[in-house]
Amino acid sequence: MNAYRRLFSGPLGAIAIAVALAALAMIVAGVSPIAGFSALFGGALGGTSNIAETLVQTTALLFPALGITLAFRGGLFNIGAEGQLLIGGLAAGAVGAHLHAPTAVAAVVLLGLGAIAGGVWGGLAGWMKAYFNANEIISTLMLNFVAAALASYLVVGPLRSPQATGAETAPLPHSAWLPLIVPDTRLSISILVAVALAFLLRFVLTRTIFGYELRAVGEAPEAARRNGVQMRRMTWLTLALSGAISGLGGATIVTGVMHTFNTELSPGYGFTAIAVALVGDLDPLWVCVAAFGFGILESGGLAMQAVAQVPKDAIHVIEGCIILILAARRYVATRTESAPV
Amino acid sequence: MDLDVSAGEIHALVGENGAGKSTLAGIAFGSIAPDAGTVSAGGTVGLVHQHFELVGRLRVWQNIMLGREPRKGWHVDTNAARARVAELARRNGLPIDPDAFVDELAIGIQQRVELLRELEREPSVLLLDEPTAALAPAEIDAFFGTIVQLAARGTAVLVVTHKLQEVINYSKRVTVMRHGKIVAHFETAKTSVDEIARAMVGGNLPAVAARAATAPSPCFVADGLFAGESETAIAGIGFAVRSGEIVGIAGVEGNGQTTLADAVAGMIPYRGTIHIGGNAGIIPQDRNKEALVMNWSIVDNALLGRQHTPRVRHGLLLDRNVARADAQAIVDRLDVRCATLDVAVKTLSGGNQQKLVVGRSLFGEPRFVLAYNPTRGIDVGAAALVQSRLIEARNGGAAVLLISFELDEILAVADRILVMYRGAIVGEFERASVDRATIGRLMAGSR
Repeated sequence: MNAYRRLFSGPLGAIAIAVALAALAMIVAGVSPIAGFSALFGGALGGTSNIAETLVQTTALLFPALGITLAFRGGLFNIGAEGQLLIGGLAAGAVGAHLHAPTAVAAVVLLGLGAIAGGVWGGLAGWMKAYFNANEIISTLMLNFVAAALASYLVVGPLRSPQATGAETAPLPHSAWLPLIVPDTRLSISILVAVALAFLLRFVLTRTIFGYELRAVGEAPEAARRNGVQMRRMTWLTLALSGAISGLGGATIVTGVMHTFNTELSPGYGFTAIAVALVGDLDPLWVCVAAFGFGILESGGLAMQAVAQVPKDAIHVIEGCIILILAARRYVATRTESAPV
Repeated sequence: MDLDVSAGEIHALVGENGAGKSTLAGIAFGSIAPDAGTVSAGGTVGLVHQHFELVGRLRVWQNIMLGREPRKGWHVDTNAARARVAELARRNGLPIDPDAFVDELAIGIQQRVELLRELEREPSVLLLDEPTAALAPAEIDAFFGTIVQLAARGTAVLVVTHKLQEVINYSKRVTVMRHGKIVAHFETAKTSVDEIARAMVGGNLPAVAARAATAPSPCFVADGLFAGESETAIAGIGFAVRSGEIVGIAGVEGNGQTTLADAVAGMIPYRGTIHIGGNAGIIPQDRNKEALVMNWSIVDNALLGRQHTPRVRHGLLLDRNVARADAQAIVDRLDVRCATLDVAVKTLSGGNQQKLVVGRSLFGEPRFVLAYNPTRGIDVGAAALVQSRLIEARNGGAAVLLISFELDEILAVADRILVMYRGAIVGEFERASVDRATIGRLMAGSR
């Protein structure tokens, strides 16, 4: 009951306000909000193929959102999910193009590689934080640019496929594609992996010693340090695992959706995922729900633009409002708690 | 609630933590708005705060005249300001160097600056909120000497404190608060420490546990210990704590106690040796930051620090059932008042939070216990319980190192007393041969 109320006063309230603001914007732009939103939801949820596409977007957001959830719960502001996603995809694409193996083996190898690559990328920021006290907000953000530059260089240069028209790696052999759940759509089994991961993450946070210590560090670092938590190890491990989850997500986009790697892998999933994680109140299962909500916005936005002539950017207005409201709420909560009594 | 303070009177306001004393003082000063009712004062009101509100990087005169600087054209009239401060200091018998930097002054002198700043406004009412919390016994006497003179010249003084001996020594009347209400008024001359204490807790104080005979053998040894830097460094400290013994470290805050505690707890690097013969239980100074996770339940907090012990650890997993049973045991043993074990500890009172911390530290019968201000800021009842549990741990054969800023606590609990001053041990007393006055002098740095 209490959790429900908290959710409504927080994330759900934020969503309601954001939707109201978007409706207002549509009225100002001379479009009926009813037409706009029905186009949005129709495009996202009307028919099997639309729903499948919404779930593809959901999956793409869910992995980085879970990675961010883990880091935030551990008190580390990993805003490098975008780069970790890209590096994970890059690893899967670079190896996948030359991997001829049964689908099950290929899936395990490529997704594992993606996780390792993302983990190294996140762990790098963690190592810098643990041993040189480098602010992880700066380092994870900067590593996004490094990842983007590295990926661009590789797909234009050494990894570029001679057959391809654009700058991308050679296509993955069919045997390396993730199996589809719904035929003739882009929805692969990766969504099952993502949801399973959410349950696993919840279990880790609530039942394991690692999760217990991670939450202790996130809530009260000094108390954790004084009660047997090895802070350095915790710092790099948290960011490495966070990066690994995003990297895994990048690999699922390559093996499940694109079947090749290029720098168009993410239109900013790693940043939107921050909002997804916050709307989900940093609880892995609620993050799944939030990811579905944002998936609707992402996939319905195009339909809204086409049918109701509402620019797709209106979606970003909604997302931006949600982030602002949630950030303000957290700020206000902190201020109130620390105010002198 | 009603309270009046007459001109020329020193009026003491006492009560347990959370009884509402500071709120009342804040309302009287005007920094907190009352929900209802009125406050009237015949003139201006000055407030000397528990935690000094001084600008450390500024000089004494700059602090005292801050916001009321005499001007000469566009500039501060430095000479006039200095002269004003010197005159103020002389008139009130509070000698001070107007040009000294505040952060280079001793705590007792900083208090003097704080007091002078309020006196500069010539208040007719002076509020003192726990003014002696950071002072050595000799400094306390000097401080109240000044206050008595001020009152004699017609200032009404309201002292908020929990040190009952000061109340008896210096006040004319006493008002006791409990749970936000005034529960008793006394003429100081017609009352006693016991009577005031009973009014504060609303009944008799729980008795502190009796000490049993023990067979001491060395358990904790520190030798040639160096740690920390500058003012709060410790230099060449060496002492032992035997099993079945409580060693109390007396001293005024800021003389290296935190550095010593952190070194013993293994939280900071040090030179020298520390040997601990057995498992240790640590009660840190700041329960909010160093001991508890405020948003967590009692169960999760009761586990903190023990998460790697085989008792609760099954491979990578935590045994939630054992954790809950242990939390229940701690809550029962320390009489932690809570609705359920699942409430967040931030909803508990300070005393109950501290009892949880103490119970957790004593769980599993540690051979060595470090208790740093274990009763600071908690009510008298909870404090007596905590002290009893420490004595019981000692009776059970634990070596207890008690670091406290409250000399009374150390005198009540310790078998042996070490006095700490400027990072060194400057005196040692057996319980049987305690000389309070000598300890007080050593704490203040004189021999």
